[in-house]
Amino acid sequence: MRGATQARKYRLQGAGLDLALPYLMLAPGLMIVLGVLVYPLWDGLRATTRAYRYGSPISDVGLQNYVRLWSDAQFLNSLWVTVKFVALSVSIEAVLGFALALFCLREFQGIRLLRTVLIIPMVVTPVVVAIVFRLIYASDAGMLTALSEAMGGGAVQILGNPVNAFIGLVVLDVWEWTPLMFLILLAGLQSLPHEPFEAARVDGAGAWRVFADLTFPMMRPVLAVAIVLRTIDAFGTFDQVFVLTRGGPGEATRLVSIYGYDTAFKFQQTGYAAALFVTIGLVVLALAFSAIRLLRRVDAS
Amino acid sequence: MNTRLARILTTIFVLAVVLLPIYWLVSTSLKSNREITQEGTLYPHVPTLDNYVRLFTEKQFGSYLTNSLVVTFFSVAIALVAGAMGAYAIVRFRLPFAMESKVGLFLLTLRIIPPVVILIPVYLLMLSLGLLDTWLGLIATYTAFNVTFCVWMMESFFREIPVDLEEAAMVDGDSRFGAFRRITLPLAAPGLAATAIFAVLVTFNEFLFALALTATPRAMTMPRGTATLIGRIDTDWASMAAAGVIGALPIVFFALLVQRHLVRGLTMGAVK
Repeated sequence: MRGATQARKYRLQGAGLDLALPYLMLAPGLMIVLGVLVYPLWDGLRATTRAYRYGSPISDVGLQNYVRLWSDAQFLNSLWVTVKFVALSVSIEAVLGFALALFCLREFQGIRLLRTVLIIPMVVTPVVVAIVFRLIYASDAGMLTALSEAMGGGAVQILGNPVNAFIGLVVLDVWEWTPLMFLILLAGLQSLPHEPFEAARVDGAGAWRVFADLTFPMMRPVLAVAIVLRTIDAFGTFDQVFVLTRGGPGEATRLVSIYGYDTAFKFQQTGYAAALFVTIGLVVLALAFSAIRLLRRVDAS
Repeated sequence: MNTRLARILTTIFVLAVVLLPIYWLVSTSLKSNREITQEGTLYPHVPTLDNYVRLFTEKQFGSYLTNSLVVTFFSVAIALVAGAMGAYAIVRFRLPFAMESKVGLFLLTLRIIPPVVILIPVYLLMLSLGLLDTWLGLIATYTAFNVTFCVWMMESFFREIPVDLEEAAMVDGDSRFGAFRRITLPLAAPGLAATAIFAVLVTFNEFLFALALTATPRAMTMPRGTATLIGRIDTDWASMAAAGVIGALPIVFFALLVQRHLVRGLTMGAVK
């Protein structure tokens, strides 16, 4: 069967100008990507071995930039903040999204409205999402303060306090991205076969048993995909933090992306920042590929 | 009866959690700065549109909006054409050394890398080409990102279209490219629409590259322009809220209009 399709594809390729067609069709896209992303990335690898002053290279430092990273307390802290942020946000989103998807599985009135409304947080410009949450958290103009004052309390401090600011950032991410988990997981639930569930109902299994023995195991691959997608995405979070806290107070919400950006554009250490980002890129790629391999194994078994 | 009540309560709760922050944004945008900071009202007692007027008269939001529209339009349009052709080649042709599938995998890898990783190299490139703070610099950057996305999305749509139709067209004397243009492309129209919609969404909302590559209202996009309103010490809350509404309104409206097509792009194709 496969051989037959293959042969058909060769035949379809034809002769003459048609032989060049695949290359002609690939060329425009590939040229743009090579020119604007790959060439600079390649060039950027050279930048990671240099020291910069005011945006121009002044000396070659070999791999020193990469070595320096691991003794840079601020980098290590930003890495730790990022890991905490990603782990906490993504797991909360997974639990809430799954719960909401299970809840929405049965058709009922209002579900269409719910699904439509849940699109909103994902599509609002991330910068605007951050503005929305600043307007909620601000101690002088915020919704929390206004509510607290309406009930006779005082001003609420969120962004000035390291712990609260971090939690505030996680809440923002959960608000923005739980709907995505929900959409993926709902689609997964809807594609599950009906028979096992009917059999379980005939056998009189309780709701919890059905969930633990059927729903959850069958949903594991979809759940894994959703978590991997969100994790990769969350690692690169930048806009929201930039606008909400700029990494502060202190270093409480300074993710690696923010630290790298400041290193490059505020402290003008271009080479060092480039080395930092290359390292992060490799970490994320390794994460993604091991996740894909893991999923393949789950699929096969 | 009990489960029904639980359902209604949960629905109301979720709606409230999603919509309350949005309500607060809109409500703040209709207040004066004095009302916001000194009275702390829960709804605008003296509603005003001044904040919106100020954005366009004093803060150049007209330019930001124009820049965003121009940059988004060109980068999505170019990427869609280049991406659709590339995806078609990857799906339908078998090249020596399995080149086509390697190209596909390569583009996907580029897509997985967080954009922030490519920020400094792209910045240095645009600096050396003198394209900082120009439409062209932004368009080139966004087009490249959109190409990786369009190729990968369109691949899955082209795969679903049977080869037989193209073969029939070619038997009837159509060229290979003619078959692609007249048969496959129209059949993939819903896929093209979904791809374009998602690309528009992501491009319009992009902030990181706009932040690094633009510096003046000459090229600043909406998200970038909005961020300039955030002061260090004194924050103009009213303008910020109004800018948030202006920045989010077109895209939310657009998304709700086409929400059916959105899911696939948002979930990176994890679901259909």
